[in-house]
Amino acid sequence: MDYEKLGFKCGLEIHQQLDTKKLFCNCQSILRKDEPDFIVRRRLHAVAGESGEVDVAAKHEMGKDKEFVYQGYDTTCLVELDEEPPHEINKDALNIALQISLLLNCRILPLTQIMRKTVIDGSNTSGFQRTVLIAQDGYVETDGGRVGINAVILEEDAARIVSRTPQAYPEKSSTKIFTKGKDEVVYKLDRLGIPLVEIVTAPDIKTPEQAKNVSLKIGEILRSCRVRRGIGTIRQDVSISIEHGKRIEMKGVQDLKLIVPTINNEIERQIDLVKMKKSVAEVRRGNPDATTSFLRPLPGSARMYPETDLPMLKISRDLINKIKKNLPRLRKDIEEELNRKGLNQEMIKLIFKMNKLEEFRELLELVSNPQLVAKVVLMLPKEIASHKKVSFEKIEKILNKDILAFVLEKYKKRKISERQIKESLERIVKGVDVNMAVKFENEDLGNVEEKIMKIIKEKPGLSEKAYMGLVMKEFRGKVDGKIAMEIIKKYIK
Amino acid sequence: MKNAVAGDYVEVHLTRQIYEGVLLENPEPGIILLKLDSGYNIGFNKKDVLEIRVLEKSLEKKEEIEIKKDENKPNIAMIITGGTIAARLNPKKGGVDWLDTPESLFKFYPGVFDKVNIVKVEVPFMKASEDMDFKDWQKLARTAEKLLNDPNIKGVVVTHGTDFLHYTSAALSFFLKNLNKPVVLTYSQRSIDRASSDANLNLQCAALAAISDIAEVMLVGHASSNDDFCHAMPGTKVRKLHSSKRDAFKVVNAKPFAKIFPNRIEIISDYNFRNILKGTSKNKVKLDLKFEEKVALVKVYPGQNPDILDYYYLKKKYKGIVLEMSGLGHAPTKRARKSWTKKLKQVQEKGLVVCAAAQTVYGRLDPLVYSNGRELMKTGIIYLEDMLSETALIKLGWVLGHADWAKDKKIVREKMLENFAGELNDRLD
Repeated sequence: MDYEKLGFKCGLEIHQQLDTKKLFCNCQSILRKDEPDFIVRRRLHAVAGESGEVDVAAKHEMGKDKEFVYQGYDTTCLVELDEEPPHEINKDALNIALQISLLLNCRILPLTQIMRKTVIDGSNTSGFQRTVLIAQDGYVETDGGRVGINAVILEEDAARIVSRTPQAYPEKSSTKIFTKGKDEVVYKLDRLGIPLVEIVTAPDIKTPEQAKNVSLKIGEILRSCRVRRGIGTIRQDVSISIEHGKRIEMKGVQDLKLIVPTINNEIERQIDLVKMKKSVAEVRRGNPDATTSFLRPLPGSARMYPETDLPMLKISRDLINKIKKNLPRLRKDIEEELNRKGLNQEMIKLIFKMNKLEEFRELLELVSNPQLVAKVVLMLPKEIASHKKVSFEKIEKILNKDILAFVLEKYKKRKISERQIKESLERIVKGVDVNMAVKFENEDLGNVEEKIMKIIKEKPGLSEKAYMGLVMKEFRGKVDGKIAMEIIKKYIK
Repeated sequence: MKNAVAGDYVEVHLTRQIYEGVLLENPEPGIILLKLDSGYNIGFNKKDVLEIRVLEKSLEKKEEIEIKKDENKPNIAMIITGGTIAARLNPKKGGVDWLDTPESLFKFYPGVFDKVNIVKVEVPFMKASEDMDFKDWQKLARTAEKLLNDPNIKGVVVTHGTDFLHYTSAALSFFLKNLNKPVVLTYSQRSIDRASSDANLNLQCAALAAISDIAEVMLVGHASSNDDFCHAMPGTKVRKLHSSKRDAFKVVNAKPFAKIFPNRIEIISDYNFRNILKGTSKNKVKLDLKFEEKVALVKVYPGQNPDILDYYYLKKKYKGIVLEMSGLGHAPTKRARKSWTKKLKQVQEKGLVVCAAAQTVYGRLDPLVYSNGRELMKTGIIYLEDMLSETALIKLGWVLGHADWAKDKKIVREKMLENFAGELNDRLD
């Protein structure tokens, strides 16, 4: 396809959840799978437009207010229930949004206002989404040229939809007044308020391939900052148009493999529609087979008005400078750094995959042997897990950073050899006291041997296994079984 | 720069950038606020702005709305006094507009008109409730009296700020005598620009209460966090017990009159029935607006110095004081480092009326249970049973406002313990 000839234009809108507490309250950003603790029933009614036009009355005539059911948990607070004014904006989230803005070469607004964007599908208990423009006029460089960043926005995520069918909430709930068979929408409040950074690119993207590259690049920048990982934590909308065609916004096209084919499919569809003069501006949903399906007509510009419960947001020069000094580096740069330290590509990949960069760096400060530290952080826990048939998650919990540091410290002080690191870790996994786990024959063997000798002397003629039992009882697991058995065997003979 | 006014589409020139958008009213001095085409508002320090160039003047659109009166619907009147429920943000200018005409009300609360015609809207003043005092309550009562004595009107709805709403409801309960029709106070905790505003349900239920047979001063508002029904709460037995929730108001030491749904009423407790004797003088509400301003409400706390009583009585010449006392009605006694007993006796002998209400909010006072209580009781304090301290303050001002009552301590005690407007309840459950 000749994209230039087609007049192809494309821009991205990326929503990324941040890994902090909620944006306007002090609740943890935890998604719940269990049964809700309570429900609240609310109605949202039509609100007057920007200029106060009479559409409220008209809408009221059209039908009754919509009813929504919200499922809450012990992790839900009054802010999420729209029963308390928002708290001051989460500073961690703001700082991350500023980091992202700087990494995208944006100009940060020194004075900006938190806005309420009207949302009446029930996904916000308040009837609006709080959102604030943080920065503008940035760019990312790609192979196909520079792509502008129009806006970096910090906003709250919406509630999760649970169902649209009646009776989708527990009947034993404290609120007994509900009507059977009524069509209701049920939402979970756990996701509501999780900070999101929205990045809006300019429509500078010239090919589907470039769209994918921009997505990759921005994704890399996002992941260098404190963002949530996993399915559902990043959502991408792709907007495209071709000459004589209208703007199409495709929602949920974040899978890198699908970006190019989805855009190409839509271009082909648009070419046909333009021929028939039937191109309409609309919002479509991206499907797993790279096609799209109609969602709704493209809405007009969102209705926004100030969040009057909060003061103007002032972003000081000092804060920007402080964040500039501590900007996270991109993965590419870090990879180069690790490579210089002598790690091979496989190890570098593993460090990112296992999310062990911080741990690696901290332990490296203790023992300046990158190969060894990489082995201790990346390989040994895995080996022990598969050898002992224990889940890796469990091993990871036992062999945490502090434990690894402790063992490496002993190595550094030459109390144990490199070979004994693994054995120490294995003992710790087995439940041996950490101080005992790093003690080896050459140190306390005499003491252990003496005691075993005494046991055998006191009760002669028992089997190896019986002695083993007695020895283990004596040392309460504080000595390695292998070593104990060796000593027992020695003395029985 | 001088020509540009809020609402104009302008260019804001800084040294290095130019921004376009709608100029808004200043949120704070020294700041210029601009609405960008994207809908976002951003600010500039005035000193950084070189020039504001007007690209397009704002057009003041005046839309005429006609509310059709439905002969089959009952008529009510509305008194608007201010507060969240009567304020609307004008996003175009960034400032606040008041909703003070039937048309503007209809525009924002069409649901209220479902069951009633709002034939009159009175605005005696526009104030936040924390800015009001007894003069405002008197003015409000006068406005209400006129409307209540209009045979064409079935009931009155008063919209009001929430902070001190329960003081106003108590005042109206004492000021409006021989009440013939419902006086319904209502409020909102969430502003009306949001789709989730509680005003909608509160107003619909208030309108229904105003045409009911419950001829009481009552407060109508959310019964829970759900948008399903309101409670009609007695004006003297209600208190704001939460700073932000929809169901901030709760009935204390009594029961609500009724549950009010947008389309029906479920009665819970006894009430004064609407007077249906048309055309007789018995059907007329009367005003009793006397009020003594020199009354105070003081909360007793551990280790408090009783000199505070001298301050009120000797220095500021107060006539009466309501003490919010601990537990069953206590203050530091002779066994305390700073005893109140002697001082209480002194000031009362000199003529200060001292009443006691419970700082526990819920429950009744009883000074006879403990020796501390008996010691304090002997000083002459009037223990106000289960009366809310806020209601007690209003009632004390009202009682002492009657010169023929105030001259005799015995009559004052009698009147304070007489149940005028449901402020006392001798059966708590």
